[in-house]
Amino acid sequence: MNLHDVPMVLFTVVTQMSVGTFIALGVIQLLARHRDLTTTERVISPVLYAVGPALVFGLAVSMLHMNDVTHVFNVIRHWDSSWLSREILFGVAFGAFGFGFALLEWFGAGSRALRQTIAIVTAVLGIGLVWSQAMVYYSLVTVPAWHTWAVPVQFFTTTVLLGVLAVGGAMMVTAQVRAKRAAADLADPSEAPSDVAAPPEQPAGSGGGLAVLVRSRIREINAPSTGAEWTLTARVLKGIAVVGSVAAITILVVYPLYLGQLGQGDAAAQTSAAVFSGTMFWLRLVLTGLTAVLLGFFVYRMAESTMPTRSRLLADLVLLCLLLAVVGELLGRALHYSAMTRVGM
Amino acid sequence: MLTEKPADSVPIEDAGPLDSTRRTFLKWSAAVGGSAALVTTAAELGLPAFGSAAATTTAAATEPAYVWSACTVNCGSRCPLRLQVEDGTITRVLPDNTGTDKLGSQQVRACVRGRSIRHRVYNPDRLKKPMKRKSGTKRGEEQWETISWDQALDEIAAKMKQIKADYGNEAFYINYGTGTLGATMAKSWPPDQTPFARLLNTWGGYLDHYSDYSTTEITSAYPYFYGGWVDSNSFDDVKNSQLQVMFGNNPLETRMSGGGQLLVSQQTKRRHGVRTIIIDPRYSETAAVLGDEWVPIRPGTDAALVAALLYVMVHEGLHDQRFLDKYCVGFDEHTLPDGAPRHSSYHSYLEGKGSDGVAKTPDWAADLTGIPADRIRQLAREIAAAKPCAITQGWGPQRHANGENSARAIFLLACATGNVGVPGGGTGARESAQGLPFAAPFNTGITNPSNKIISVFSWLDAIDHGEQMNTFNAGVCEKSAPGVRDNKVPVDDQGNPTNVALEVPIKMVWQYAGNSVVNQTGDNNGSIAILQDESKCELIVVCDIQYTVSARYADYILPGTSAAEESDIHPGENAGPMAYGIVSTQAIEPLYECRPVYDICVDLAKRLGTEREFTGGKTREEWLRATIKETRAADPTLPDYDEWKQMGIYRKDLGPVVPLAEFRADPKANPLPTPSGKIEIYSNRLQAMSEKWEFGVFRPKLAGDQLVALPEYVETWEGPLETRDSEKFPLQVIGHHFKGRTHSTYGNVDWLKEAHHQTAWINTLDAQSRGIENGDQVFVYNDRGTVKLEARVTERVMPGVVSIPQGAWYDPQDSSEVTPPAEANPDHPVDIAGSVNTLTSLHPSALAKGNPSHTTSANVVKG
Amino acid sequence: MPTQKSHETPAVGLTESDADYGFFFDQSQCTGCKACQVACIDKHDLPLGVMWRRVAEYSGGSWSQSGNTVMPNVFTYYTSMACNHCEDPICMKVCPTTAMSQRPDGTVYVENDKCVGCRYCEWACPYSAPQFNAETGHMTKCDLCFDYRSEGLEPACVAACPSRALDWGPIDELRAEHGDEDGIAPLPDPSITKPHLVIEPHRDAQQWDHATGHIANPEEI
Repeated sequence: MNLHDVPMVLFTVVTQMSVGTFIALGVIQLLARHRDLTTTERVISPVLYAVGPALVFGLAVSMLHMNDVTHVFNVIRHWDSSWLSREILFGVAFGAFGFGFALLEWFGAGSRALRQTIAIVTAVLGIGLVWSQAMVYYSLVTVPAWHTWAVPVQFFTTTVLLGVLAVGGAMMVTAQVRAKRAAADLADPSEAPSDVAAPPEQPAGSGGGLAVLVRSRIREINAPSTGAEWTLTARVLKGIAVVGSVAAITILVVYPLYLGQLGQGDAAAQTSAAVFSGTMFWLRLVLTGLTAVLLGFFVYRMAESTMPTRSRLLADLVLLCLLLAVVGELLGRALHYSAMTRVGM
Repeated sequence: MLTEKPADSVPIEDAGPLDSTRRTFLKWSAAVGGSAALVTTAAELGLPAFGSAAATTTAAATEPAYVWSACTVNCGSRCPLRLQVEDGTITRVLPDNTGTDKLGSQQVRACVRGRSIRHRVYNPDRLKKPMKRKSGTKRGEEQWETISWDQALDEIAAKMKQIKADYGNEAFYINYGTGTLGATMAKSWPPDQTPFARLLNTWGGYLDHYSDYSTTEITSAYPYFYGGWVDSNSFDDVKNSQLQVMFGNNPLETRMSGGGQLLVSQQTKRRHGVRTIIIDPRYSETAAVLGDEWVPIRPGTDAALVAALLYVMVHEGLHDQRFLDKYCVGFDEHTLPDGAPRHSSYHSYLEGKGSDGVAKTPDWAADLTGIPADRIRQLAREIAAAKPCAITQGWGPQRHANGENSARAIFLLACATGNVGVPGGGTGARESAQGLPFAAPFNTGITNPSNKIISVFSWLDAIDHGEQMNTFNAGVCEKSAPGVRDNKVPVDDQGNPTNVALEVPIKMVWQYAGNSVVNQTGDNNGSIAILQDESKCELIVVCDIQYTVSARYADYILPGTSAAEESDIHPGENAGPMAYGIVSTQAIEPLYECRPVYDICVDLAKRLGTEREFTGGKTREEWLRATIKETRAADPTLPDYDEWKQMGIYRKDLGPVVPLAEFRADPKANPLPTPSGKIEIYSNRLQAMSEKWEFGVFRPKLAGDQLVALPEYVETWEGPLETRDSEKFPLQVIGHHFKGRTHSTYGNVDWLKEAHHQTAWINTLDAQSRGIENGDQVFVYNDRGTVKLEARVTERVMPGVVSIPQGAWYDPQDSSEVTPPAEANPDHPVDIAGSVNTLTSLHPSALAKGNPSHTTSANVVKG
Repeated sequence: MPTQKSHETPAVGLTESDADYGFFFDQSQCTGCKACQVACIDKHDLPLGVMWRRVAEYSGGSWSQSGNTVMPNVFTYYTSMACNHCEDPICMKVCPTTAMSQRPDGTVYVENDKCVGCRYCEWACPYSAPQFNAETGHMTKCDLCFDYRSEGLEPACVAACPSRALDWGPIDELRAEHGDEDGIAPLPDPSITKPHLVIEPHRDAQQWDHATGHIANPEEI
């Protein structure tokens, strides 16, 4: 693996995870629309706020492969021809809309219809981002390892796998925090009411009105889960387990097809194919396979049977899946870049 | 003399010891990297814009000047360069922009090396100040003390006086050095025409050497065949040929100038399409581009191939018997000279009637050469049928332990096919070219009173045991005439060889513009062992522009100037029908404290008391003018010095060269300088010498240590058979001339190192069996040393042969730094530069006492 | 055969609009000496590692052995390659900043003020024409020596070639004189970018889609 590929590996994987997360949240909201709105929002909104920093991180890292950052605003000039320009436009737009949506959600501002519209636009922009990222590589007809259907498939499976797992992971962390809070409330009930409805005139530090608002929102978010919330969480987890394991299996199935195709290709394709053979490749397969197994069997079953008060093991398991999947995708993406062999000289 | 340099580009206080040189590299890069940086640097330098203009006249300081300069290295070509100079700094190197693409008036475009000269002039390895080896340190430990010019020259002169008093003038030796041979006042070769030779000649003379590392074996073979040096027809004459056959001749890599033999051979081929066969162990660029067919041959077996070719021709009646009868001695029994024993003719040798009793059939040769017998038969018929056929040889075939015979055998092939002295034919030697009648009054004005001469390759022996060396045991000779740098074996009244001996060993070695102290001679590790014994050689002085490998082993280092820092005269070389010459103009001030070798020698002459004789009352510039004046006396149509300097290059179309045409036309009126006046296939003199020659005196006698009267195939130590049968060292190692260097010159230029990597060429089959892939690091080793370098796994070298481009700068690493492979000799360091001379031997060839560079066996393992 | 253009020739006709300049490469004469490469480096003060012109050795074949004799069936030829100033420059197409631009005479160059140094063009170009200069953080490439041509001089590489294997000119003229071969291995399918390049093939030259050899000097290009 080449060190100079690291920014691009991180950038693409992290942005795809962000897009996947946002869309997964949208889908959850859509599927849970007949449920109590507060319950749904309580389950998913914390996840939404984790997407922002991840995306900012991803975009920041992408700047590392721009060697003259002072000229960075030129990169959108060629939107009518260059997929790289489009990728950046989509990336920035996705970030902006996502950020806007998160703000509205956070402060409960704007109408529900407006928020939904923005969410849909953001999701479409996210799909556009992943698509243009894939096209950045697919459109290089001079690189056989990239000019293949496998690249968009791989990018979208990354999006789905990491998206759902990030949602699952964030949900479980939130659930743990809330469970802790619930346990604390039980031990010291006098504290409980003040947490739910924190008086605005209780600033722990300076920061003015906004800071107060933010702090109260955090308290709201961290308030203990209700039973309905846990049920929803468990159902969502089961869905995540199914979707995630399907995505992971897809990744595993794509490789032999992709490598078979490369093996039939010209010298450049053959050189690329040879990249998918070493320890790194096998590790990537094992990690992804393990993710599929853990999700499909253990997470799915445990989500059905676990009680909210004893969800620690399930949370750890989901987080482990997330970790395995992230590492697997990072390795897979590193291989994607290492496979870059161009035709010609 | 420039003594001030800006601290930010060339910190002079850092000059000298090498680590500081490395540190200044980045600063240098900045100085030569961009014109913006240059303007700043040069402004701070306060240097004047310099020199006469090559294209435009010198204008304001910001307007570039174009100055005619030249590349003066030993590549067998000579290229003008137009240096673009801005504010005293060379900013571009431009090619010749005069002349045409037509042979005879061709534009002389510099090759990749000349075009990189900017990074040679401004190289981090440039020597900056005189340096002296620190007392108490050994040669090669690289502990230096920077000293003043006065101190350096005072101490060198004092030591020289002491050596002269103790040993006499025979103890002084000028080592082989060809780095600036293409100059007049800066000339580094031939050694007797160099400034230091002139200085020693004013002071009692010195021990001279015959031949050179390029051609030792063929040079010594010539007298016993043609009577003296004879070229073959020029390459432009190939237009008259039916077929061109090249034995190890490689003009596209060894004559790379775009005005030299590369262009002459390529343009002739382009226009006339004469079928060309290349016989070479390596699929050279010449084979790939000029050749129509490649016949790979095991190194050192050319004489066997020739024998089989002639066997086929004789048996099929295809040879030119009339030519052999009329012009040659000893092909058949009936043309043997008086006194030659029965069955000593070449014909008898072919038929197996000679002492070896083996018929030289194609099957016999196939086993040796690696060429299938049918291919040999086919080749014999094709060569014999082509009338005329241009047969030439490069100098690779002769650079072997049996090279004298290979050279003679290839001559013989040209003779037996009747191609000598006719248009479209040739002598079997290397191609010739036209030249201008350059005089060299400064270089040849004072001759060497010493009449003894040793082989160019014997100097380490002469340091080690010179007082024991004589004609019979070491090839010590007399000069052919007083003051002539040419050897003859002394003979008595009856013409029998007699013995002349050295009286003293070499005590001082002067190395100017050369890298032969260590790197270009052979057996680098063995050489160092001899040189590090200070009781033997007492004084080694290296004068160069770069901190070369040889400089590491000096006692004193004197920083010279590059061609860009001098004005000079450069006779043209090897341009086929075109004779030409270049007059260059100083483009920049000498860098650092560097000084032209002429000035250095004047100051030494002052100290030795011979300044008046040395300068002849002339300045350097006056000598240049005198050179052109004398040259014009021979050819008044040539331009005068000032005109020539302005035009840079002057050229003249003199047409093709056909050597020995007069001999061919009338051999009686134009006899050859052999005892018989004819071509001597059987040499009586060699026969007589073979009875006197002693081997095994200073080193073990090995297979092949013998003289033979005929150009027969002699199997030698580390020859193809011995190597093939060796368990330990089963690969033959040769060292081809490299596109990225001229010998070792330019070997430290980053642009060239980037363009041409030093690699060991190894055949795909040999690599496979050793688990080596293209680009892998490998060790190549034998008992004399180990090198480590990148492998070029290639179909372009024949199986069983490894070729390492010669001239890389020996870089020994202790076993603590680089662990040698288990099978290698643990007593030697690992040379990570891949200098092929880390592997070659100091065992000299039998007749020439020459460097057998390509007779080397070794093994290769993955690194 | 290149015409002689001396240093004093007035600036005429070497940067004409719509000329669509390109290179002619006589592969049958190239010895792989790389005088073109170094002349280019000297002309443009390129740092190490930046080679606007490079020379690939393409070799292949096999040996047959019989007893102690061997017979070769091998080939080698060189390809000297700078920028082909293509009809469909893929570098321009993919460049996100429009820094990769084309002059009216058809030559492709980098507008330094725009380039962000993302190296995407380097991935795209099958001739390795765009080369990243780490010192400036920008892509750089052959502009067919625009400044020399503006002064009426030939590109540095063309004037350098010892074997007279390089020439340049309006692509129509080059094709009229030398034909239209431009797909010799290791070069790619010419339909990708439609290079303004004409090759006189080496006798052993292999078509890009029927190639059996390998680039022997990958570390040098």
